[in-house]
Amino acid sequence: MAGRTVKLSLLIIATILIALASLFIGSTDIAPMAALKAMFGQGEEAHILILQQLRLPRTLLGLAIGAGLGASGAALQGYSRNPLADPGVLGFSACAALGAVAALYFGLRTYVPLFALIGAGLGATLLVALVGQRQRASVLILAGVGLGALATAVTGLIMNFAPNPWALSEIVYWMMGSLREAGPSALIYCLPLTAAGLIALFITAPDLRTLALGEDTAQSLGVSLPRLQILLVSGVALCVGSGVAVAGAIGFVGLFIPHILRALIGADPARLVPYSALAGAGFLVLADMATRAISSNGATLYLGILTSLIGVPFFLWLATRKMSS
Amino acid sequence: MSALRFEKLTAGYGRKPVITGLEGEAQSGRFIALLGPNGCGKSTLLKSLAGILPVKSGQIAHGNTNVRLLPNALRARTIAYLSQQRDIVWPLSVREIIALGRAPYRGPLGKISAQGQAKIDDVIARLDLSEYSNRSILELSGGEVARVLLARALVVDAPVLLADEPFASLDPAAQIQMTEILKSEATTGKTVICAMHDLALAQHYADEIWLMKDGAFIAKGTPSEVLNDTNLVQTFGIHPPEGGFNLPRIAKA
Repeated sequence: MAGRTVKLSLLIIATILIALASLFIGSTDIAPMAALKAMFGQGEEAHILILQQLRLPRTLLGLAIGAGLGASGAALQGYSRNPLADPGVLGFSACAALGAVAALYFGLRTYVPLFALIGAGLGATLLVALVGQRQRASVLILAGVGLGALATAVTGLIMNFAPNPWALSEIVYWMMGSLREAGPSALIYCLPLTAAGLIALFITAPDLRTLALGEDTAQSLGVSLPRLQILLVSGVALCVGSGVAVAGAIGFVGLFIPHILRALIGADPARLVPYSALAGAGFLVLADMATRAISSNGATLYLGILTSLIGVPFFLWLATRKMSS
Repeated sequence: MSALRFEKLTAGYGRKPVITGLEGEAQSGRFIALLGPNGCGKSTLLKSLAGILPVKSGQIAHGNTNVRLLPNALRARTIAYLSQQRDIVWPLSVREIIALGRAPYRGPLGKISAQGQAKIDDVIARLDLSEYSNRSILELSGGEVARVLLARALVVDAPVLLADEPFASLDPAAQIQMTEILKSEATTGKTVICAMHDLALAQHYADEIWLMKDGAFIAKGTPSEVLNDTNLVQTFGIHPPEGGFNLPRIAKA
């Protein structure tokens, strides 16, 4: 118990330090005190502009998206009782990406976030309509995987018929995922939607713990599977949808964050949801800082590429270790 | 003390009912063995009584309370359920697993009351699980896991306990020990209904046997009334052995 409090405090401190570093470190050298002042609108105008328009929104959005992905992954792993589940298994990221790619196809660059949110919302509605009263987690996950595959196929179709190479390259770059274009306007929808999603996922936490005993026993202990399903679907759709809307596809964060935490704080599925939100927030901002540091004049390393480069080897290690045990 | 009663109970999966129009009354303080071939509807009956499987029609009452109208948490405090499934994927500690039995009493912040903690301590001591309590459930043998899950069901402290073949695939000594624990629960005034396949255990420990086949009751009564040649031939296609169903005795350590 005391050990856990220490670990939680360390996690909070680490996340705060990462967020501060993200505010204070960038291509323009601004001293920490000057940066702090600029954040509140004092000091040099250029500094104020960089802090308020670029670094602060980018950091806040990185925290929100990372928290959403981490919590979604932890909740879905708890729900499916499968450590290999990630926020992508319900298909909402693919649906959101489909919406965004459709917007890019039609040249509606400014409507990408809206279309991505609509994609995630429609995906969630369709999934619930498909699964209906069949409340088993396995049915929901199977339907979600199918939905995601369909959305990916339609996305491929759109790219197939891209009107010109520029539209296609825009789609391809967007799909690599990045916080580069995360501006203050995105805060207005991304923060409240992610907050609502996180609240829904936090509410599921005690039921996810009971679900460790299996669906039958959990029901006999008072867990309502339909209520759990609706909270989970809306929570994941809100977190993943608003994340994709801002930053495109960012894979694997939701898969490996809960795993690392399981080794650190234990396997309690309820506790993993808020802890994964916290660690996901810190990790994504850190990964974003890494992409900023690695990217140099002209060449850009995309955030989604970096998280996948870290995540995929981890996934392979995890899958083979699970198979051999 | 209240009895668990069900009337005209019809339930099943999909459109086809597995059990149709079942009636029964389980008095408190009774240990009832639910017997019948695989697929006869034992699990369906227990799951519909425990609120796991939606009931198509019929009544379920505990005392004067209509169980079907109870909110989930209250129903869970009235009827505890012990599944035959023992597959737990997360490396939770034995104590964490047992504490899940207090879920129906949990407040908004998920805290377990002092009374709940005392109940958990009490059951851990009673089932001899103290030395395991901080170990991961994944490190235990099948028999130990079964005992932990029984403890999980006991800490619910519900007046009714439904157990669905909780000793399937356990060794003979473990089966006898688990049955004795269930029997002792009944002697404290609880209603215990346990689906099982071991006729010797049923004959030796059960106060009553409910014999099922094809979704209906063939016979209900004391072991000596129910386990006769006619009933056993009709239900299982077997004759009772000469001298009755004898139980092995546990050797003193």
